[in-house]
Order: sequence, then C-alpha cells, then structure tokens
Amino acid sequence: MMHDSSPAGTRGSRSAPPDGRPARDPGGGTFLGRRALMQGAGALGALGAVGALSSCAGSSARAADDIAFWHLLSGPDGVTMGEMLDGYMATDGAASVTQTVLAWGAPYYTKLAMASAGGRAPDLAVMHAARVPGYAPGGLLDEWDLDLLGEFGIRQEDFPELIWEKMVVDGKLTAIALDSHPFVLYYNTEIAEAAGVLGDDGLILPTDNPEDFRALALELGGKAPSGYGLSFGYLGDGSNQWRMFSTYYTQLGGTIELPVGGKMVYQEELVVETAEWILSLIDGEVGNPGHDGGTAISEFATGGSGAFYGGVWESGNYKSQGVPFDMTMVPGVFGEPAAYADSHAFVLPHQMSPDPERRRNVHAVVAELLKNSISWAAAGHIPAYSPVVEDPAYAELVPQSHYADAVDHLVYDPPAWFSGSGSDFHTYFGNDMQNVWARRVDPLTGWNDFVARINALLLKPTPM
Amino acid sequence: MSAANPTTVTLTPVVPRAAVTARTASSKRRRGPAPARIAAFVILAVLATAWLVPVLWAVLTSFKTEAEAAAMPVTIVPDGGFTVAAYVKVLSEGLVPRWAWNSFITSAAVTLITVTISALAGYALSRLRFAGRTMLITLIVASIMIPGQILIVPLFHLMLNLNMVDTYWGIILPQVVAAPMVFILKKFFDQIPFELEEAALMDGASRFRILRSIVLPLSKPILGAVSIFVFIGAWNNFLWPFIVVNDSNLMTLPTGLQTVISAYGIQYAQNMAQAVLAALPLIIVFMFFQRQIIKGIATTGIAGT
Amino acid sequence: MTTADGLAAPPRGVRPADHLSVGRSRRRRADNLRGWLYCAPFLLAFGLFLIWPTFYGLWMSFTGTSLAGTNTQFVGLDNWTEALGDPQVWSSLVNTAWFTLLSTIPLVLVAMFLAVLVNIGLPGQWFWRLSFFMPFLLASTVVSQFWNWMYNPQLGLINTFLGWFGITGPAWLQDPNTAMIAVVITTVWWTIGFNFLLYLAALQNIPDQLYEAASLDGAGGWRKFLSITLPQLAPTTVLVLVLQMLASLKVFDQIYQMTGGGPGGTTRPVLLYIYEVGFTGYRLGYASAISYIFFFMIIIVSIAYMVIASRRSVKA
Repeated sequence: MMHDSSPAGTRGSRSAPPDGRPARDPGGGTFLGRRALMQGAGALGALGAVGALSSCAGSSARAADDIAFWHLLSGPDGVTMGEMLDGYMATDGAASVTQTVLAWGAPYYTKLAMASAGGRAPDLAVMHAARVPGYAPGGLLDEWDLDLLGEFGIRQEDFPELIWEKMVVDGKLTAIALDSHPFVLYYNTEIAEAAGVLGDDGLILPTDNPEDFRALALELGGKAPSGYGLSFGYLGDGSNQWRMFSTYYTQLGGTIELPVGGKMVYQEELVVETAEWILSLIDGEVGNPGHDGGTAISEFATGGSGAFYGGVWESGNYKSQGVPFDMTMVPGVFGEPAAYADSHAFVLPHQMSPDPERRRNVHAVVAELLKNSISWAAAGHIPAYSPVVEDPAYAELVPQSHYADAVDHLVYDPPAWFSGSGSDFHTYFGNDMQNVWARRVDPLTGWNDFVARINALLLKPTPM
Repeated sequence: MSAANPTTVTLTPVVPRAAVTARTASSKRRRGPAPARIAAFVILAVLATAWLVPVLWAVLTSFKTEAEAAAMPVTIVPDGGFTVAAYVKVLSEGLVPRWAWNSFITSAAVTLITVTISALAGYALSRLRFAGRTMLITLIVASIMIPGQILIVPLFHLMLNLNMVDTYWGIILPQVVAAPMVFILKKFFDQIPFELEEAALMDGASRFRILRSIVLPLSKPILGAVSIFVFIGAWNNFLWPFIVVNDSNLMTLPTGLQTVISAYGIQYAQNMAQAVLAALPLIIVFMFFQRQIIKGIATTGIAGT
Repeated sequence: MTTADGLAAPPRGVRPADHLSVGRSRRRRADNLRGWLYCAPFLLAFGLFLIWPTFYGLWMSFTGTSLAGTNTQFVGLDNWTEALGDPQVWSSLVNTAWFTLLSTIPLVLVAMFLAVLVNIGLPGQWFWRLSFFMPFLLASTVVSQFWNWMYNPQLGLINTFLGWFGITGPAWLQDPNTAMIAVVITTVWWTIGFNFLLYLAALQNIPDQLYEAASLDGAGGWRKFLSITLPQLAPTTVLVLVLQMLASLKVFDQIYQMTGGGPGGTTRPVLLYIYEVGFTGYRLGYASAISYIFFFMIIIVSIAYMVIASRRSVKA
C-alpha cells in the first residue's frame, strides 16, 4: 500500500536509491551548517515543549501539606485506614493526605522499591516490619526523627520491646510500627460450648500439651457440621504455611538464622517434629488434609468447623459473616506460646531532596494515626502504640483483648533481604513444603529442598 | 512495547497493498453456491458475536450496581435496571481522567517526536550521500532484531541515572526509537521521483525547505500511517510505562488500571467502568477512521509489532 | 511541478548532478555534515535508548548490580552459571515456548479461516472487520480486565454459560490445568485482528484470473482453495507465523495481569521471571543475564526466518 500512496508513476522507477544521488548545495557549505543546525534545534524545541510538561509532575512540586501515602491495605483494612485518615484531616491545621493503594505483596513492594530507587518516592508508605531489615540497608528508606515524633507526643517507651527492636535497623529508627498482627486461633463459640470445651469465663479451655490439644480439637470436631475440629488452609499459600510452621517451631524452641554468605542455621530434629505435628492436624480426622486459604475460611465462616488457624485480619470478615467466634493465642502446647507475627509499619521511602516542612507534616500524620489506632484495632490488629492498648477502652474490645498478650510472644521472620511478609522466603517455603503437607514427600526431603534454595540465596551478596 | 520493540522483518517484500481498505470484496469471484454462502454467513455471525461478547458483558456489568454485579446467580439484565453510578464514581473519585490525560500527553509526544526524528533521518538516508550512510543503514536494520522488552533492566537503570524515573520524559523517550519507522519512511522517500526536488534545488531552495514543502506533503499518507501506528502503540503500551512510573498521578491508563486498586476491595462494576472508559477513546477513533487505521496498521504494523 | 513529471525516472547516467563535477567535493562535505545532522536527533535517541542499554545490559549481567545501586562489582560469569542452573529460568523458558506454540497455531489458522470467510464477500463487511479487529486496538490491561471478569469462577459469564448446561466450570485462572489455556484464549481473541488483516490483504491480492482459469477447468471451491488460495497465501503465512512467534515469545502483559505467572509458576513466561528477579528481587545483574539468554533465543528465531525468507526470494 505504501506503493500505492506514493506519487503517480513512481512504481516503474527503481526503488533502490541510485548511487551518486545528486545532492545539490545551492546555499553553499557555510550556510548549510547553520541551516541544518537550526533544523536540528527545531526538532529539539519540540522535545523541549514536552519537557515543560514533565516538570510539573514530580513529588517535589507538590505543596508541603499535600502528602502522598502508599499502602497495601485493601478490604476492611483499607476502609479503616481511609476513615482514620479522614479523622486526621478533620483536625485543625492538618495536611491533606492522598492515599494510593497497590495490590498486596510483590506488586506493592516492587513498586515501592522502584520508586525509592528513583528518588521520587511517596512521602509516606506502609511496609511489613519484617521486610524492613532487608530493605533499609540499600538506602531505600530514610530515617525517622525521634525528636520530631517526641514533639507530637510519640516516645520510644510507648512501644513494646519486641516491636521496637523491629523498628530500629542498624541503629537507625527506620520504621514506626502501627500494629502487630499475629497468627492466632479462632474458635466457634457455639460449637465449643456444645463440645463442652469452654471454661467458666466463656473462653476456650487452656491446653499445654499436644495430647490435650488434639483431644480438644476432636471434641470440637465431634460437634462441627464438617466433622473437623480445625481448619487450616495452606494450598498455594506459602505465607500461611510458614506462619503455622513458625508458630509451632518456635514453641518447640527452634530458631532460624540467615547469615549472608553462610548457610541457614536451624535445628533439624525440631523441624521434623514441627512438620509431623502439623501433619497430625491436617490428617483428615482433626482437620481437612487439602484446604486452600479460601476454602478454610469459608468452612469456618459458615460455621462448618470448630476452629481456624489464621491471621487476626480475618476477624472483620467473620464478624460481617455473623459466625459466633472468639480468638485466642495459639496455645503453647510445647512450652511457651508463640505468635508468629508481622507489623504494619510506617516508613519514609527515600527521596532525593525531601521538603523539611512536608517531612514534619508526615511525622504529625503518623503520630495522629498512632494515637487513634484504637480504630485500627477494630480490624483485629493489635495496636503497637501501648497507650492505646493499655487504655480501658481497648479491654472492652472483644475478641481483640483476648489475644492482646500476644505482644509478649511475637515471632517475626528471621531477618534477611529476602524474608518478610509476601517475600520469596515464604514463596519458596510454600513451593517445597506443600509437598510435605500433601504427603508427597517426607518432611526432611521437603525441608532440605527449601534449605537448598535459601542457601543459594544466602550465597549471593545481599543486593541491598 | 509498540514502537520500542521492532522485529526483524524486512519492510519491502511483503507489505500488503492498499487492498485492505473498505473496498468490499462483494463483486469478487468466489461466490460459491447459495447454501455454502449461507453456511459461511452463519459461521461468521456466530464467531463475530462470540468476539463481541466479552466487550458487551463488560459494558453490561459496568451499568449495574455493585450489588447486582456481584449477585448470584448471575443475571444478564439486572432486576433494578441499569445505572451509571459506577461511571459517576470512577470519574469523580478515581484517577481515570488523570491517567487518560497522561496517556494522551505521552502518546502525542511519542508520536510527534518519533515521526519528526524518523522523517529527518529517513530523508537523510534516502537522499543525502554522506560518509557512513551505508553503515548507518546496516546498523539501523540490524537493531530491529533487538527486542525492546529485554532492555527493561538496563533501561530502568539508565533512567535512574538520568533521574527520569517517575517523569513523563521517562515514559516518552525510550519509546521514540523506532528503527522500522525510519526504514519505512526512507523506503517511501526513495520512491518519490527526484526530479521534483531537482528543480527546487536548482532554484536555490534549501534541503530542509524541500523536505518541508515538497517531500513531506507528498508523504502525507505514509506519515499518517506511521503516526497512527505509533500513537496506538504508545497509547496501549504497558510494559515500559509500568516499569518507569510508580507515582499513581503519572501513570497512563493501562498501567494505572492495573496497578492501583480500590481501598474498598474489588468492585466489579467500577472495574468494568474503568476498563470501558479506557477502551473508549480508541474505539471511537476507530469507528471514525476505520479505513485509515486499518491501512496504517497494515502498512507499518509488519515492521512495528 | 506535477507528479506526471515523475512518470519515468531518468536513467542514472544522465542525472544532472553527475555532470556537475565542479564543486562536487564541497557538496560531498556539506552532505556529510547535513546527513549526520539530519540523523542526529534519531541517532541520539537510538544510541542512548537502544544501543547503549543493549551493551550496558550485557555488562550488567557480569555484575551484581542491585536495584538500590549497590554491589556494582564485577562477578564474572556467576550470574550466567546461576541462570543456566536455575530451574525457574528453565521452567519459565518452557512456559514461554509452550505459550508460543499454543497461541501461534490458532492465531495463524483461525486468522486465515476468518479472512477467507470474510473475503467471500458476504454482506456486513464493516461489521466483520469491526468485530475481529477491534480487540487489537485495546490495551492489554483492558483486555485482561474484561477476561478476568469472563473467567470469574462464580460470577463470570463463561461458567454461568456452562452452568446452563449443568457443567461446573473450573476456576480458569487459578487452576494449573486451565490457566495457560485461558490466557491463550484471551490472547487469540485480543490479537487475531492483526493477522486477520494481513491475510485479508493477501487474499485480495490474489489475481481473479487464477480462479477463473480454475473454474474453466471445472475445479470446485475446496479444490480452488487448496490449489490456488493456500499456495498464494504461503508468503503471508510465513510472515504471519514468524511475526506471531516473535510476538508470543515476548509475552508479558496479559499473563502478568491475569495470573501473575501462577498458579505455582505454571504460566510464568521468561519476561515475567526477569521482572520478578530484577525488580521484585532487586537483582538487576542476574535479571540481565537471564535477559540475554532469552535474547539469544529470539535471535535464533529471527535468523531462522531470514534464512527461510532469503531462500524463498532466491527461488523466486
């Protein structure tokens, strides 16, 4: 068609340019240089016109009281965060906060890292605290000003020790935790009552050894429509498998270290013991052997099973579904209880030239959100800011107050650049250990496959 | 990645003729027997309907309330009638208008710059005998083999160093390199008879003047085709803007739609309303310029997909 | 200056400029300068955004460069050996090849089928073209949103439709057995318009005389298709096949948007793995090494095409 649109008659002529194509130079060489230069300048001018547009869009061009805030909280969490921000913005002299919500997990962290690397990051972002240690050393996060926070009434002693440790990386205050959200045990109060496993206080009977716990679960199962005492969804969900594993492995006294350049440190016999214990909970008698996250949730939400292992953030969902339930820390059947957890934490993504006034406003926003985090507790999370938890108003929140002592037993991911919520560490764990839970391989085989991949990562220099 | 991802195809041999226009084939030969024609018609009708269903279903959903969009069992026509609530919500609260503007600005800039620099280079390669010309042509043709997608990592790193991450410039500049377009334009200029310029040269007109007042006007069809192709490619480009932009205020329609989610969970009607809004501009343009677009894509697409 | 003047280009030898030996060297010099100046804006962009990244990426593949800009030291072939031994590199390459195979076949055959049907000259030409070609104009994100909604296990039209016949449809995009097929169906729907156009153009260029002659010989419709249409379409088929393979090998958008490479990595193409390693995993150097392994694959396909194409033109 190109041919057809060319001027009439050209079809017959040769299409290849003949050598020695005449090129006349009527103006003379000296002129031409200038002309050609001007022509080039014209083209560059067109570029410049576009350039003018780009300058008005960078983050630095915004006003100091216009704060860009990124987070990964959707669903009920997103609604609550939106309300808390509205509450802040209704206060006198408040800055205006624009929230951008990105999809949870890898998409969010990828974008946040790329934005920080580019130096035009948002003014404020939420990260999982367990991801901060792997993230901060690369210079992608800026430091919080504790003095400035103090001005707004936020002090170090306002945070539980286990959480504060997670907020400080390499001696720098890098993250301000909003909450901790542990992995807990939900139970259906009607089924529990029918099974006779509720105490006089209306809470589920405490258990401190595996046999009792199994017996209790079987009691629950006897009264549950599905026949299962416990619901645990793991298929295709590496994070949930890891939460469960980490909880019981820690109860058994197990520890994990991830030294860069070295090999993963762990206690093999405890790993096997933990895996076998978990297998005994999804043996087809106590719990369904092949649930994914969604089916486990709907099994419990529809009143089908007696209890459910999951993060506290599911509580909003269960409330709206109307299932009668309460929550407790996962019982310490092997000793001290342990609560696998992570925290939503505020961070300052790296900006090349942050506006001091806006930074100040960001500190004010965070202080305000922390002080009002009783609203955040509504979504199930345990506020990190102790004055809120110690307030009598919190004790009245049920079931939130029933697992609040988890803050003394929090277990975070072992620090590494590839660990934390939604990280490769969780993904790899799920990839290899799913075969164990599905009883395709024995626990040690699956675990060793996982360790091999982690060791390969440890051999790499940390990219941050 | 449209213009930024040329393929290896040489441009001359198989470029389809203008035939793909609205010139109907109705007068054509293969009029089979009537039963065969009816069968063909039925098959086509079924397939064409199947092809339209995903779009119609999305449009239908976008005019439902959220509750009806998520209602089980699925209803085709909602009991409560249709509503534009989803559109109102998306247009008033979301960033869709902003993204549409970003898409327009960046695509227009990509088109303007690509066509300008490609025409200049194409003209030089066609008409001017300068040292290194053959080498340049070889280089440009060879470069068509480089798939733009594999460059996302070094390009992003380059953008970091140029301080262009999260800028319009960062979206635009890597997309303006369109070696196939240079080549298409060169081929076209080759076919314009030189005599037209000769006289002007004799009269003392400058090369640039000739380019502007003789060559370019004669090249309107091809410039139009290239522009259409480049614009559509830039408008729909996903991968590169997705890599280089993180700031939701700077995102283009395709990247914004994908990246930013609602804080209030999945909202089907609003999702569909957003998608329909994002699809609308090109569909409207297509309705009006079907011939030109089909021509433009057929001409340049081979080189540019 | 009418275009009629250009009816016949003068023979090379009598081009006026060739007689002007005076000032030739000056003209040459001027043309040298001008030629490069005209090319300069393009070459600047070309060099900076295509050539430089091509070589810079190769260099990065020998370094440990991270997203944060740290660890730029030379690591030799470490990334390359790691990539060649990384099962996920291989599985993503296999997925890419599998997607290419699954998508290319229908995108060639169905496109040809549609073009032949439309070319019969039935009424409604405008409508046929609109239906089959319009999706090609949509952005990948729009396409993915439309189809995610079609594939929705409970609320989607596909499973609703199947439900009318008492069939419980799968969770298309979440089920490892159907996810790739679902993505391929979407891809065919989305991009077939382009191949369809090329075929339509080629069909309309087949000289009527061929069919008339065949009719005189008493050939039927099917016979004419086999002995005239198919051979006449052969060059287009080679072109469409190669363009389609190259396009399918570079798949990223719709898979990222529809399945994210899941479930369990079963749909993850190599470009998505490059993205995950480089940007999600911060390892730009390693991602570069994988990019180049992929690059070589593409070059092999391209060269194979050029060999076929040149053999063809020699024959012709």
